[in-house]
Amino acid sequence: MLSLREFQSAMRAGLLDDSSPVAAALLAEVLIPADRVSIYRNTSRIALTNALRLNYPAVQRLVGEDFFAAAADIFITKEPPRTAWLDFYGAAFPEFLERFRPAASLPYLADVARLERAVSRALHAADAEAVTPSKLAGLAESAQGRVSFLPHPSISLQSSKYPVDAIWRAVLARDDAALAAIDLGSGAVRLMIERRADAVDVTRLDERPWRFAEALFAGRPLPAALELAASSDAPTWLAAHIAAGRFVGCAPSGAAHLPATTEE
Amino acid sequence: MVPAAIRGDDPIPAKAGIGLRFQHHQAVLESPPGVTFMEVHTENYMGGGTPVRCLETVRRDYPVSLHGVGLSLGSAEGLDLAHLDRIRQVAERIEPALMSEHIAWSISNGTYLADLLPLPMTDEALDVVCRHVDQMQSTLRRNILVENPSTYMQLRHSTIPEWEFMAAVAARTGCGILCDINNIFVSAKNHGWDASAYVAALPREAIGEIHLAGHSVRELADGGSLRIDDHASCVADEVWSLYAETLRRFGPIPTLIEWDNNIPPLEVLLAQARHADTLIDRENELRRAVAA
Repeated sequence: MLSLREFQSAMRAGLLDDSSPVAAALLAEVLIPADRVSIYRNTSRIALTNALRLNYPAVQRLVGEDFFAAAADIFITKEPPRTAWLDFYGAAFPEFLERFRPAASLPYLADVARLERAVSRALHAADAEAVTPSKLAGLAESAQGRVSFLPHPSISLQSSKYPVDAIWRAVLARDDAALAAIDLGSGAVRLMIERRADAVDVTRLDERPWRFAEALFAGRPLPAALELAASSDAPTWLAAHIAAGRFVGCAPSGAAHLPATTEE
Repeated sequence: MVPAAIRGDDPIPAKAGIGLRFQHHQAVLESPPGVTFMEVHTENYMGGGTPVRCLETVRRDYPVSLHGVGLSLGSAEGLDLAHLDRIRQVAERIEPALMSEHIAWSISNGTYLADLLPLPMTDEALDVVCRHVDQMQSTLRRNILVENPSTYMQLRHSTIPEWEFMAAVAARTGCGILCDINNIFVSAKNHGWDASAYVAALPREAIGEIHLAGHSVRELADGGSLRIDDHASCVADEVWSLYAETLRRFGPIPTLIEWDNNIPPLEVLLAQARHADTLIDRENELRRAVAA
């Protein structure tokens, strides 16, 4: 008799369109009306396409509903979710779109998708307690000079050749005039994406503060980040990050010989 | 046996509640509706930020039921422990009055298939489900409810009637049953079962909650038709009748109105909940009259 595992494997293959003749024969053995697999397949596809739509609303508006559904169908077959928590489903969709030939006429599409991935991450990231200036002051003075930080899980940085933040805003606002006014050749943008009180903020940074933030958020020690920033303004940027609650942990780095003072 | 978590310190009164979806968060916060409890899909509150904060606010005013749709109790390969841990974390934060999952599977070879897929009703599947219910209950340190499925096909190698399968899971694990009246109706129509006999075969003491929802009828190419459990419309009249019959048999039970697709204004859901409350009130009156 067909084991539960064999049955589930065969059904999975049927739902993901990679049914081998063996799997198909196994299904035919146990399904009374075999064509009803398609009902489950449709429900599954609709649920996963909706999950992608929720995470990539601007992409959908840029390409249209039908194009999006067709691209999603191919993507779902290639990259079905590995977990039932779908808030981050489609993390590989931007890279998929980048290689998706029918979308080649929209060179900025993959970067808009990357921005939406960062926005989803910001929306759904776990809550975490920010490091306060007073906690930071509690680190030994010798440690403060070499501290490295853990960024809030909602924060990420992105750079793009295209003004993807302007495109994203105009598309979601259905502001055709703003969209028409965008100059794709206006130069690279560097963005910080984060969750604030009730919404996600997408902020443009200049190159130096962006490089400084990139180093800090990657956990590089403060002196290394300051060196990269090469600006006397860097301490002000750091103070702004701390005041905005962008760090959830800090510790002296490269300090194997020092007692740990890691923030809880 | 009567699971402690179901009839515990903080039981949900035997009245009607509604499924809370994101579309209604704001309306519910601005003007808390007169329903007895609210139920959410656990998977929608696993992240941080606004959704879970909203649910915490709702939780201050209403008992909350956490209804999981993704643990895949029927998967032969075992439970996704990371997912079970996320469920535990949501439960710790929300302190729900009830927690439930489905008699179904949705994960195979590590892939989540995003639908509640049918299980063969076999001894092997019964063992797998009972093992996973035990595992879920011991992780959460409470009893859960398991919901009877709606299905569109019967598997040829099934050997146990579904109602017996449900009763066996409850008897072996001590879990309760979330009796979905619409699912019973849909499956009975699709497979030619007797819906009333299905209800009658369930153990009264295990029923911790009732679900009601809308379904649709799909005409098939072969001339037949199929009931589809799409949660996209009002509860059908025949399902209301089966509900009233269930209340007659089991007495009043906390009852949830579910609506997941083409979600209407909150007022429509509330009207459905009021109708369920009317039927519960009528049953209570009947029982009082009989007792007198």
